[in-house]
Amino acid sequence: MNGEPHPLTPGLTLHALLRRLNIERERVAIAVNDDFYPAGQAPDRELREEDVVEIVRIIGGG
Amino acid sequence: MPHTDPLTIAGKTFTSRLMLGTGKYHDFGVMKEALEASGTQIVTVAIRRVELRAPGHDGLLEALDLGQFQLLPNTAGCRTAEEAVRVAKLARAATGVDWLKLEVIPDPKYLLPDPIGTLRAAEILVGEGFTVLPYVQPDGVLARALERVGCATVMPLASPIGTGKGLRTPELIRTVLDGASVPIVVDAGLGVPSDAAQALELGADAVLANTAIAEARDPVAMARAFALGVEAGRLGYLAGRMAERESASPSSPVAGVVRLPDPEVPA
Repeated sequence: MNGEPHPLTPGLTLHALLRRLNIERERVAIAVNDDFYPAGQAPDRELREEDVVEIVRIIGGG
Repeated sequence: MPHTDPLTIAGKTFTSRLMLGTGKYHDFGVMKEALEASGTQIVTVAIRRVELRAPGHDGLLEALDLGQFQLLPNTAGCRTAEEAVRVAKLARAATGVDWLKLEVIPDPKYLLPDPIGTLRAAEILVGEGFTVLPYVQPDGVLARALERVGCATVMPLASPIGTGKGLRTPELIRTVLDGASVPIVVDAGLGVPSDAAQALELGADAVLANTAIAEARDPVAMARAFALGVEAGRLGYLAGRMAERESASPSSPVAGVVRLPDPEVPA
């Protein structure tokens, strides 16, 4: 996740992960492998080993 | 302030020809005031990983009403076409807009864009429905290629990002402007309002500034000054400049000058 290994507990789902990390839903996007979602619209899914999760936000930049 | 003629990019019309970045500000209130003072309608933002260990660090955008601007997320930090395409898709998901300032920059010292990677990413992203505004070196051949793959603008650099050296590439920018079929936005390296004016006088359709305003002693005043520079440059371009001459041409009539009988004028 975000470029680093993250422990995978059995049955962990995307929504459970977002709740655990206390991820805001506004101005945040999520990718699971090659699927991209606004954070508020990401469907729940069970996470598997080798899944690549990316959680990004909008910040100031030029 | 009288507006100049409007600018249209990808079917959207804007009265301001000044785009602003939102990086490098130390104070949110100052940034917000600077954006307002500039009259900008298009602002860039960046996409970064959420910091999982220290959540809640602010990127200075928290209280900004992004809905009042056309957002232009960038792919700053991407070194390859593949990274840029991935960040573009994340940007679209995070912002809800499909506009993208495409940056493919493998060179950390001068932050010069990779023309081949940029063209490749542009082609992919246009195919995926993005409105692509690519950041490039000023190169007329590259600009035409980017237009052919469907880019909405071409954004040639004035000088390297964040240097404030101003328009160091005017002859090359001319090759981008000459025959352009999309708006040309001079981006990066502008330092003072006259740099912006110079770009618009040359015929650029707009400019993008960030560091020049964020790092000014008074960013709000500088934002206003850039707006005036852009307007002056555009009006000057539309007015049509005089032809240059090699020798002087008196502005006052040469007939009827009061003369003394025997002047000591050097031959």
